[in-house]
Amino acid sequence: MSDRELSSQEGERDERMAELAKRRADVAEMGGEANIERQHSNGRLTIRERIDGLTDKGSFREVGTLAGTGEYDENLKLKKLTPATYVAGSARINGRPVAIGGEDFTVRGGTSFGAMRRKGGQGGYIEDLAHHYKIPLVNLIDGAGGTVTSAKRRGYVVFPGVDGFERSVELLGEVPVVSAVLGTAAGGPAGRAILSHFSVMVEGSSQIFAAGPPVVKRSLGQEITKEDLGGPKVAVNKAGSIHNAAASEEEAFEQIKRFLSFMPDNVWELPPVVECDDPADRMDEELLTIVPEKRTHPYDMKKLVSMVVDKDSTFEIRPTYGKALITMLARLDGRPVGIIANNPKVYGGAMDADAARKQIHFMELCDTFHIPLVFFVDVPGFMVGLKAETDGALREGMRAVFTAGRLSVPTLTLVIRKCYGMAGMATCNKNDIDLKIAWPTGEWGSLPVEGGVAAAFRREIQAADDPKAREKEIEAELRAYSSPFRTAEALAVEEVIDPRETRPMLCDYIRLAENRLKVKLGPKSKAGVAP
Amino acid sequence: MATTEVLSEVIGSVWKVEMAEGDTVAEGDLIMILESMKMEIPVEAPCAGTLSEIKVKPEDSVEEDQVLCLIES
Repeated sequence: MSDRELSSQEGERDERMAELAKRRADVAEMGGEANIERQHSNGRLTIRERIDGLTDKGSFREVGTLAGTGEYDENLKLKKLTPATYVAGSARINGRPVAIGGEDFTVRGGTSFGAMRRKGGQGGYIEDLAHHYKIPLVNLIDGAGGTVTSAKRRGYVVFPGVDGFERSVELLGEVPVVSAVLGTAAGGPAGRAILSHFSVMVEGSSQIFAAGPPVVKRSLGQEITKEDLGGPKVAVNKAGSIHNAAASEEEAFEQIKRFLSFMPDNVWELPPVVECDDPADRMDEELLTIVPEKRTHPYDMKKLVSMVVDKDSTFEIRPTYGKALITMLARLDGRPVGIIANNPKVYGGAMDADAARKQIHFMELCDTFHIPLVFFVDVPGFMVGLKAETDGALREGMRAVFTAGRLSVPTLTLVIRKCYGMAGMATCNKNDIDLKIAWPTGEWGSLPVEGGVAAAFRREIQAADDPKAREKEIEAELRAYSSPFRTAEALAVEEVIDPRETRPMLCDYIRLAENRLKVKLGPKSKAGVAP
Repeated sequence: MATTEVLSEVIGSVWKVEMAEGDTVAEGDLIMILESMKMEIPVEAPCAGTLSEIKVKPEDSVEEDQVLCLIES
């Protein structure tokens, strides 16, 4: 090869390296300074700042970096590359791998990008990465989805789901899927956020809805702000569309890290066990007196749970939705557990439609990822009254019973006070050892005595000289039978314990459950029709 | 001055009002007790301030998210 030929080839290589550098530099500029400035002044970070804020320093390996729209001069030489509206790649969070991606709002408002292969969103590359490598998926959502302008570019309109929403669905049975809503999400990105095991949105700077105010105005003639339509007060507190609210993007990232710290990388692995310096045999004295003597007095269930589980180990999911029930991830002797506790401060812990939905999601989450469940039971039954019936509490409640009936994860039932009726049934796992541990304050049955006496003994009460006094008499007589010790005589409740013994006992059983967990790893089969 | 609305978390009725308009409250102070599902549900001050208005009286029925009283702080 002559010297001249060689130097011309070297020149070509330099040129190509220069073009790679130029393309990378263009991509790094995102949607341009003005758009980045606008994103910041709206109180929002850019997608690249978000990925940096959430993942371990230097761990992000981008993929599809050069996807975008090139602009060329008359000699077909690149003038400028506008990046795709989505940034994606793999990274580590607390040393563990994740697939992560999100819309770049500074480029065309993060609207869907019409390329050969989608980078993110439903059926995007990032979902394939999570699926094939069996690693958690983190969606950082900040986009309004499709735009009608893409039809003009393409020359035709796409059929719904053409990009492969089946992958988004499949992932929910394989790896942890987490979504943060970090801007205004409508359409596809809004739907993507819902198809998650855990979702969080930011107060003041994020909203989520099927469609935003302009569509509502045109469809229904109603004028409403995007905050009133899809801010956390609606989406988190009332609808339960999104699980948690955070005060800032940074807090949202902390919540995501916390959630993932309890999760295995996928359903074929055990959830991560950590070193625990809180002694497994610690017995908190206050447990003895935390339940008031008077049955009509509520108490602080969250405080009670925190005295039993590993110190500072709780992470509450949905604290502001369906508040008659508390759902928390926590640890016992370093092992992840799912806590489902009734809240006597709201409706005496009775199960309404929202509480039932909350319990169902949480049971399915823990069952899918092999995280043992511990029920802290104080439930008087299903919620009663016109509102509860209208909301569908009976059907939702029975769906909770159905879901409990299909649990396969180890489950411990700890009865603190009341355990009545069908809502009480939903606190047991009949596919496990069905271990029911009661405190001496425990009471149970088909329905509470005071509710049932008036109906069952109506004639006898009416015939008495003093009906009120007779009703009280019958109540007292029946209550004697409802002592937990009488049920323990029949081994119809397996153990009655001193409340202070709760932590040592639960820690023992959660350790014992490990062999059962090991042989049950893998995806769950789903059959039958939930009510 | 900010006004905080104290809302009922439950459907039920007012059993006892433990404070009067003009009283100073600290966060967590018991303002009133509601009755719902045969339980006594305490309504506690979500913040410190002055109880500027009490909108319910004993035996009133209350709905979820109904404003029970106002605190100025």
